[in-house]
Amino acid sequence: MSEPPRRVRVTADSRTYRPAARGPATRGIALPGAPVDEADAVYARALRTSQLRLALGTLAGFLLVVAALTGVVVLVPDLDRIVIAGVPASWLLHAFAFYPLIFVFAALYARGASRNEQRYRDLRERE
Amino acid sequence: MNGALNLLAVAMIIVATVLIGLYGLRISRTTGDFFVASRTVRPVWNASAISGEYLSAGTFLGLSGLVLLDGARGFWFPIGYAAGYLLVLLFVAAPLRRSGAYTIPDFVEARLESTAARRVTSIVVLIIGWLYIVPQLHGAGITLVVVAGLPSWVGGVIVAVLVAGSVAAGGMRAITFVQAFQYWLKLTALLVPVILIAFALGGGPHEVDTGSVFPAAAGPSGFDAYSSGSLLLALLLGTMGLPHVLVRFYTSPDGVSARRTTVLVIAMVSVFYAASSAMGLIARMVAPDLAEPAVADTVALVLPSRVFPGLFGELLTALVVAGAFAAFLATSAGLVVSLAGVVSQDVFSGTVRSFRFSALLCTAVPLAVALLTAPAGLVSSVGVVFVFAASSLSPVVLLGVWWRRLTARGAIAGMATGAVSCGLALLIDSATGGVGAAAAYLAQPAAWTIPLATAITIAVSLLDRTGVPLRADRYLARLHSPERV
Repeated sequence: MSEPPRRVRVTADSRTYRPAARGPATRGIALPGAPVDEADAVYARALRTSQLRLALGTLAGFLLVVAALTGVVVLVPDLDRIVIAGVPASWLLHAFAFYPLIFVFAALYARGASRNEQRYRDLRERE
Repeated sequence: MNGALNLLAVAMIIVATVLIGLYGLRISRTTGDFFVASRTVRPVWNASAISGEYLSAGTFLGLSGLVLLDGARGFWFPIGYAAGYLLVLLFVAAPLRRSGAYTIPDFVEARLESTAARRVTSIVVLIIGWLYIVPQLHGAGITLVVVAGLPSWVGGVIVAVLVAGSVAAGGMRAITFVQAFQYWLKLTALLVPVILIAFALGGGPHEVDTGSVFPAAAGPSGFDAYSSGSLLLALLLGTMGLPHVLVRFYTSPDGVSARRTTVLVIAMVSVFYAASSAMGLIARMVAPDLAEPAVADTVALVLPSRVFPGLFGELLTALVVAGAFAAFLATSAGLVVSLAGVVSQDVFSGTVRSFRFSALLCTAVPLAVALLTAPAGLVSSVGVVFVFAASSLSPVVLLGVWWRRLTARGAIAGMATGAVSCGLALLIDSATGGVGAAAAYLAQPAAWTIPLATAITIAVSLLDRTGVPLRADRYLARLHSPERV
């Protein structure tokens, strides 16, 4: 009778072993009651708040500047008397001056929003 | 005016649309291709396509007509359209891209976990889309009347057949290429004549009497705070409620590129609006005799041959005609794609075949309406759509993206309130022509219908005993967190 093979304990190499810290993101389809990563939830909420604050701030600034420009165009009668290429300056301002403003605010917001997201990524990676 | 040359321009646009559509068809294979171009469109192309479908008959022909007719008041429309995209960028562009939904009803259903809310959203989306297609078909009709002397139904039928055919054949992917091409065509068709005419006027014998051409009463100082404010509010918020605007963000690969795309779109539509506004200013100098409600919308088509008699003017006119047709085609095609997406998922099984059938259905209804009604001013017809979208859909979309407590009942109540109050106000206004002191509030209802719909949505959500949707927190986290790299 041959000797049964010796039992060996099989384990992972402790140097290369990494715990599956967080499974793949559930992307919103987890069942109710499933465990929620508290830190994740806090970071996500903080990101949401900072994005909302940025959006509302940009909107407020935009509306303020638009109101100011509208005020100038509507209320300063001298602009009607300055004529460029046959067109009063007030008409020219009304026709063309608003678009650069819209673009500037859009570009500023896009930069700020990406920065907020970068901060969120950094926070999660540091964890 | 040279009818044959203009018809040739229309024919060339049709051929180009079909060829590019066929090219798209060759590389459009899966269901994902049909609905959202498989989300692989680059920002520049995507931005061109978005701008291409956003610039409709309303701004290509209507804006210069309105400035001619009504003065500087008309400038508020394109400013509002462009600023509407700023609000899209600030509040919904990246989150909606990350929502993972194909259409607005998909988003509402996923966010609120309710099929009833989805159905109501679908109905509102259909109404908005159909309302928006009708002026495009009207615009095509009056264009062919003016440039080729054809009966007024021909233009609408041509556009409808072409759109239904190309959407059914190629889906979203083909349409993306077609619309990107059409943006650049539209810009060229407007910018080239504007620059040439401006040079001709600058060097020519035209003597402009500034005081009578640009009277102060029609200028910026003739500013009505309530009407302009209410209109601007509707245009700002209305853009995010348009079905074909939202579906476009799903074709960006991720949230960051959705934002980048939107910034590009703002630049692109702004350049176009500036050119269109310049056309309006030129129209006041060159063609004051056309300042009548029925013909003002065609002024952009008539201007080139007024300034340049002979073959050169005729060629320029043909270019403008081509651009105008690109405008009708691009906007209606974009709308039909998104409406067909909604109908095929809601009513049918969501397959490619049902998408094709829905595309035919979604073109037939507005065509019937367009043939049965007479065209009103193009800009104001399009403006009405923005008012309706801003009152019914925008509050729910905004709150859905940002407010955790929103519930399905709140959303349904809000959409119903907004749609009914705004619809009634506009119907009463058009039926009676304004009722005494209430006239301004009926003609421009946005300033009270949007707050009303928002308040009802919030109140009903807070009182709703079924409470916050179970997965609201997870879904919101998903909307606002960047994709994993």
